[in-house]
Amino acid sequence: MDTTVNGAPTPTPDEPEVNAAEHLRGTLGLTGTKIACGSGVCGACTILVDGSPTASCLLPSAHLAGRSVTTVEGLGGDHPVQRAFAAHDGLQCGYCTPGFVVEASVFVDAWRTEHGDTAPDRDTIADALAGHLCRCGAYEGIFSAVAAACAGEFDTDPVEAPPRADAPAKVTGRARFTGDHAPPGTWTGVIVRSTVPHARVLKVHPAPDDGGGRAPLVDLLGEDRTVRHVGRAIAAVAAPTRAEARRLAAAVRVELEPLPSVTTVDAAREPGAPLVYPTKAERAAALGYGEAPGPRAPWKDNVRGPGVVSWRGPTAVSRLRAARLREDPLLVAEEYTTATQVHTPLEPHVSVASWEGGHLHLHVSTQALSKMVDKVTERWDLPRERVHVVTEYVGGGFGAKGALSPDTVAAVELSRLVDAPVRVSLERSEELVDAGHRPGNRTRVALLAGSEGDLRALAVDSVGDGGVSVGSNVATLAALMYGRSPRRVRDFDVVTNRPPGEPMRGPGGPPMAWALEQAVDTMALRLGEDPLSLRRRWDGNPKRRALYERVAQLPLWRDRPRGERTGRFRRGVGLAAAGWPYLLGPQARVELTVRGGELVVRSSTQDIGTGIRTVLGDVVAERLGIGADGLTVEIGHGSSVHGTGSFGSRTTTSMGPAAADAADRLRDALREHSPDVPASGPIPEHTFKEALSRVEGLSVVGERGLDRWGRLTPNMAGDLAVGRGMSGAVHVMEVEVDTLLGRVRPTRCWAGIAAGRLYNERMARNQCEGAVVQGVGYALFEERRDDPSTGVVLSNDLEEYRIPGMGDVPETEVYFHQEGFEHVPGGGIGLGEVSVVGVAAALGNAVFDATGVRHRDLPLRPDRLIGATR
Amino acid sequence: MTVTRPTSVAEVSADLARPGVRPRAGGTDLMACLETGVLTPGPLVDLLGVPGLDEVVWEADGSARVGAMTTVATLGADPTLVTAYPALAATARALATPQIRGTATLGGNLLQRNRCAYLRNPAFDCFQTGGDSCPAREGDHLRGVVVDQGPCVAPHPSTLAVALLAYEASVRLEGGPVPERAIVDLYEGTDPTREHTLGPGTLLTAVSLPVPYPGERFAHRRAAGRSRAEWPLVEVVVRLECADRGRGPVERAAVAVGAVARTPLRLPEVESALVDVAPGGNLPDRVEEALTALADRCSPLPATGYKVPLLQGTVRDAIERALEVPSR
Repeated sequence: MDTTVNGAPTPTPDEPEVNAAEHLRGTLGLTGTKIACGSGVCGACTILVDGSPTASCLLPSAHLAGRSVTTVEGLGGDHPVQRAFAAHDGLQCGYCTPGFVVEASVFVDAWRTEHGDTAPDRDTIADALAGHLCRCGAYEGIFSAVAAACAGEFDTDPVEAPPRADAPAKVTGRARFTGDHAPPGTWTGVIVRSTVPHARVLKVHPAPDDGGGRAPLVDLLGEDRTVRHVGRAIAAVAAPTRAEARRLAAAVRVELEPLPSVTTVDAAREPGAPLVYPTKAERAAALGYGEAPGPRAPWKDNVRGPGVVSWRGPTAVSRLRAARLREDPLLVAEEYTTATQVHTPLEPHVSVASWEGGHLHLHVSTQALSKMVDKVTERWDLPRERVHVVTEYVGGGFGAKGALSPDTVAAVELSRLVDAPVRVSLERSEELVDAGHRPGNRTRVALLAGSEGDLRALAVDSVGDGGVSVGSNVATLAALMYGRSPRRVRDFDVVTNRPPGEPMRGPGGPPMAWALEQAVDTMALRLGEDPLSLRRRWDGNPKRRALYERVAQLPLWRDRPRGERTGRFRRGVGLAAAGWPYLLGPQARVELTVRGGELVVRSSTQDIGTGIRTVLGDVVAERLGIGADGLTVEIGHGSSVHGTGSFGSRTTTSMGPAAADAADRLRDALREHSPDVPASGPIPEHTFKEALSRVEGLSVVGERGLDRWGRLTPNMAGDLAVGRGMSGAVHVMEVEVDTLLGRVRPTRCWAGIAAGRLYNERMARNQCEGAVVQGVGYALFEERRDDPSTGVVLSNDLEEYRIPGMGDVPETEVYFHQEGFEHVPGGGIGLGEVSVVGVAAALGNAVFDATGVRHRDLPLRPDRLIGATR
Repeated sequence: MTVTRPTSVAEVSADLARPGVRPRAGGTDLMACLETGVLTPGPLVDLLGVPGLDEVVWEADGSARVGAMTTVATLGADPTLVTAYPALAATARALATPQIRGTATLGGNLLQRNRCAYLRNPAFDCFQTGGDSCPAREGDHLRGVVVDQGPCVAPHPSTLAVALLAYEASVRLEGGPVPERAIVDLYEGTDPTREHTLGPGTLLTAVSLPVPYPGERFAHRRAAGRSRAEWPLVEVVVRLECADRGRGPVERAAVAVGAVARTPLRLPEVESALVDVAPGGNLPDRVEEALTALADRCSPLPATGYKVPLLQGTVRDAIERALEVPSR
């Protein structure tokens, strides 16, 4: 029996090992349907089967027989909900978007049939979309998009273009992500991983193939033959089908010599504990998860550190010691912990490689395309013109996709070996184990106030739990907060035989704020002072001071409940302050070329959902005074000029000014041939077209100019420099605590962000709203869980690793304070990180306000809440 | 991996009689188990489309026999089922996600594998996968049982079983020694190797529900971290048969709980305390005492002590809702 797919009959497959999602994507090429979790949790693979939304990754393809299937491609692009998602910017990276759109289309149609053109409330929408997860956290936009579509606001095309230029491609499934590029004949590569926590690998025996030979296998260990955690990539195999490749991988035999291991921080600190890195050379080569190179620090056994930052440190320490001896009531000394958070981009790490005539073609999901080109060129010793790296759409990264990771190495090596294109896409169980994480921390904070309520001393000791990797900076970041009183902060790492971390959005920031901001609120209580007023006294940062003034006027804060709360449901409001250094990429370049009479904007940067594709086009169009539809933006091709990596909140503040500079250079070049092009101001459309026609093939390259007063640091490794001034943020969170069932419901959040001028208000807001979602996840749900005795990660699917859904997030209002960065070309700096740092901390303070119980450990799980509040 | 597609229940039984053959219903758990290696690939019998398995048959006395292939979504949405068995419908609407409910079936839900992270991780052996220990008991069992029937510590995953226990439903069987078995006997807590008592080759064809009770009061409540789409830490179904079509005092109560033990459990001590309680008023002391006494039933693991107050709280919440009494 055939299956009708998007209106056309197609043969139903009879392959038991192929699920419906694989069939639609692989056989029919309908790659709008995404596979993200493989277990029916995330909804990215949602299709309509006889009109009913269905998780196609769990649907046997044979179950399609005789049924009618609609994929996102079949919606056609003009369903009201698709228009609404684009107009309300209900998306960022776009990877989950097809699934959301397919499900929402059914909901919207059914709602309107039953209720007419009215908007449903948030709870109703959250119920309908409960089977979908968006890791970027574009939920605010999705709520408003679905409500507007239900209200009948998008039955025709809106007049205005959507805020995000690639939204139409993302809501229709046309946007092709890395894994969607699989030409016919593409093989599947599967990585063979360590099943033991610590061992020396002696020999890897490939699986026998059907012909009595050896199945193709490539080594991923390199010179260091020691595996130091379960899940470490050892080798990779490939086969024409995924099922066959998985069988081959299972048949690989790894001969190894086990070594003693430690899999918990406590065990690693015991005297005589087995050493993760026994030799100095091994310690020196330990992986780092810092965003920038950290300070040097000594090692003792499994402990690295301390890395110390001190400002009148001895004074701080002696004041704190004396205060402890005299039992000073204005000494707050507490310990706080955070859990391991996993980046969990819905698009996993994925690479598709093929070799043709000595040229390497590589599609790869990366946050740092230009760096990737460098690394690939170096690793395989290729001339640049033979390396073609493409990363057109990136389905989220949050810091995890910066390195040359095993999926890429495996795809490139296997492709060369089997002489066919090879795709290596991590399963969710790999992505949640060995693709990076934000390490857990144990942080001690000591604050001492004087009799006038001034901050007399600050000390922070923090221990990072980054598995085999090091680079904790939690304490260091605390040194940047609350003025110049004496302080000493020390960072330690304890290494264990567990997977390594990677930088994650605001590395070190959320655990720092979790600890410090709880302590500051505790001090406010001791001083009998309002938490806002204490911060206004202690915090000299002008941007946050501006935000504090807003908070003071905010009804959410001003009218918050006071006094002891009773009853089952208790409401509370808390706030937290945050800051982040201003980083930039001095090498940012944007090229403008004239091709076929059209203007093309090119750069080897990549859009992970922040919207840089849109910003580049907008900046150029605005600078020239032309319409944004008069140009094409081509990013994500490694052959273009150097583009900034999406790290350290520096993409827009680096690329935006380079685009403006390119536009200025283009104008100058046009004026040489067309004197009627004005020296400044808008260029009339006909003048512009005429001018372009005279310079076919012209190319100009814009650069990121210097800030006024220059930078604080020279260009460091990795196209990174530190600029003057820090961004600031203040979050105010309202929660309702169900003391009977131990649940926290964040109800409202106000996010005040000070990062200078915005390039695109809606996309900036989306990113800050998403930061609230990720911060709520960090505060309440997210926690990698490991088996204590083996270090095996137990939370290796999206059921056990819990990220927030639509029903778990507060109604969020974002306020931007846009002053303070006038010395930066473009007037604005990045906000991706500052917007996430204080969210969990504000939530913790709100829970305290509601219940009177100070929680010190994240996440705030029901088991932790229920014992403490009733 | 071969898949057969029988066209009658008799053919299914014949297929299932062969060793190693597994039935596949909606496939939402089976496909995930095959994907993650909980199950090794083997011959399957596909139940989709087998005539009779997805029918709802209404008996002369007004009771229903619901076919095993009826989807969870249908249980929550079919108007006659919703009217007749509202507690079952409310429970069905609360589990998993809309997409899963549209595909997952009644029979599959009752006989699914548990959610233990050790069971679902190929790095571990346990009683269920041919091993001789429970790694969760010594390891991470935060979501484990609080009524320890031993030796496995994974709670039974079926949400529908909790509601069906409250209805005192039974299952219809083909290919086994008996044609019918009460829900309470479908599960057995001390056998760590399996989730139910059906022998290999036995097919669950339908669930028999009792004659509907007009105006029954009911509630389904679950405790979990996230608001939706999460396996519960505790869940409770309360069904109250009250005089005067629901307006009068409780004549008969059924309180069933899930996610606390290897099987869904009835709480007879709470049920008897509820008899004669009138809707809308405060809960009498004997109900409070019964809730407190739930702690005596519990035998927490080192990390599941929190489930004692959570069980008491969730049961209280469900009772308060079913009786529309003010929250304390």
